[in-house]
Amino acid sequence: MGKNREKSERIIAFALLTVLAVITLLPILWIIISSFKVESEVIQAGGFMFFPKTWTLENYAAILSFSNKQLPVYYWFMNSFIVSGIQTVLAVLVFSLSAYAYAKLHFKGRDFIFISMMFLSSFPAITNIIPMYKIMHNLHWLNHLVALIVPGLAGVYNIFLIRQFMLSIPDSLLESARIDGAGELYIYRHIMVPCCKPILIAVGLFTFTGSWNDFLWPSIAINNLDRLTLTAGLQLAKGVYGNKIAQMSTIATIAIIPMIILYLFTQNYFVKGINISSGVKG
Amino acid sequence: MKERDQHNKNGLNRFRITPYLFIAPHVLIFIAFFLIPMIYGIYASFTKWDLFGSPNWVGASNYQTIFFNKESTFYRQFWNGLKNTVTFVLICVPFQISLPLIIAVLLDKRPKGRNIFQGIFYMPTLFSITSVTLTWLFVFNRTLGLFNHLFGTDINWYGEQPYAWMTIVIATVWWGIGGNLIIYVAALAGIDKTIIEAASLDGATGWKKFVNITLPQIQFPLTYTIVVSVIAQFNIYGQPLMITGGGPSESTHVLLMYIRNLAFGTGKSVAGMASAMSTVLGLIIGIVSVVQIMMIRKQEA
Repeated sequence: MGKNREKSERIIAFALLTVLAVITLLPILWIIISSFKVESEVIQAGGFMFFPKTWTLENYAAILSFSNKQLPVYYWFMNSFIVSGIQTVLAVLVFSLSAYAYAKLHFKGRDFIFISMMFLSSFPAITNIIPMYKIMHNLHWLNHLVALIVPGLAGVYNIFLIRQFMLSIPDSLLESARIDGAGELYIYRHIMVPCCKPILIAVGLFTFTGSWNDFLWPSIAINNLDRLTLTAGLQLAKGVYGNKIAQMSTIATIAIIPMIILYLFTQNYFVKGINISSGVKG
Repeated sequence: MKERDQHNKNGLNRFRITPYLFIAPHVLIFIAFFLIPMIYGIYASFTKWDLFGSPNWVGASNYQTIFFNKESTFYRQFWNGLKNTVTFVLICVPFQISLPLIIAVLLDKRPKGRNIFQGIFYMPTLFSITSVTLTWLFVFNRTLGLFNHLFGTDINWYGEQPYAWMTIVIATVWWGIGGNLIIYVAALAGIDKTIIEAASLDGATGWKKFVNITLPQIQFPLTYTIVVSVIAQFNIYGQPLMITGGGPSESTHVLLMYIRNLAFGTGKSVAGMASAMSTVLGLIIGIVSVVQIMMIRKQEA
């Protein structure tokens, strides 16, 4: 009896999940499909059709074109890749160096420094944005991509995650290397980094997606149209294309696709990373 | 002498500057781009400041204005923004917890295609706020939109209440299912199934089992996700900005939108006033998270 019940529960779960998955996917699918529509045909059809009458790549050509001065999506794309890419590399490097010291080295004030920073960083970042603008102004960093890259390296939470992971690596491993005359930088580079790969990749992915999707700060720090990121720039699309569904869908699709591709290749690392950060063993 | 003893105790006989070099890059960035802005932001909230000149100390007058001066537009904006932000948190968070939990329970029955389902539900979490809002902006467009056409309705989604809030909440919940979902799936997988089986033998039924046995066992991840979701939703900004523009008649105009306009808007910047508002918002978020963490501690004791 128990087996039958389990089986029927499984089938009901499958049915419900299918319904929910369709609801979840429908908006994305519709937007992607709409990006291949011809705007005039949509208008002829009275404003709505699910599938395009004629499939076209015109919208992509128009939006990704270099001569699109109103919405330089091509530049935004490059800027987003530059900002998120550099920030990710620097974050993994800077955070893991710090985490190694807090986890495995002994020095005066170690725990005091780390705990103070953890405590301070739990204050929400909203209060910081206004003074940050002033600081960037004084540094002459406003309107430069560096203003988007550096503040993201101030976080403490990711150091905490890497440190937790490093604590589980046995000290004896490091001691034997030290006896063999290895310096701390060597140990970090050749023992810690390889051992911590899963958490370093997870932190890298969190940093990349967080940076790619950051909205408020880039829209404040960057005024120059050519220097915006994709996420901040898309805000302007509504003003330019208004109710033109084919063009707007194309822009939304362009923003969505890189994340879908990234996700397809790295899904397991995301899942692992989130489980480590919530303290649940998966 | 004492110092040398300490070094000997660690088995080292040279001054150890290395550890400080490891932490230096991050500590310097932390001070320059977190600590100093934070302190300066709190200081600025006690000043009259136009963002570029030097701030003039005015004591607690900004706070007096936003809290008590009923004639001031800042008073009206602050309370309206706060009310709308809190309203959003209160509507949104219950869905952000319950929906992923329901999906996680379904996934825990181990149906076919479990990983694919989980992948689908997680995906929107990776999209940027602007692409999410552009998507839903069109789904709920009155004349062109998918919803009104599929269901034959003529709802003015982002121009009328309560639909404006519904649009914002639906977009937000859709966007954020993934993170909490993965945590719940892992938590449910970690539950000792024999306890649940024992309860079934004692005649406990589905709902009772869930409330009395399953929920207590995932209490920690549950509280963690509630804290994180509440903090995240207090920072609401992009959804109303993009979807409703704060309307209809400023009923979805949230506090961060006012703060941004006051400090960086088209008019003369009132950064001191904006800093006072953001300090209050920061304090509220801080207090909410401390209270929630204390509640977890109490439950555990």
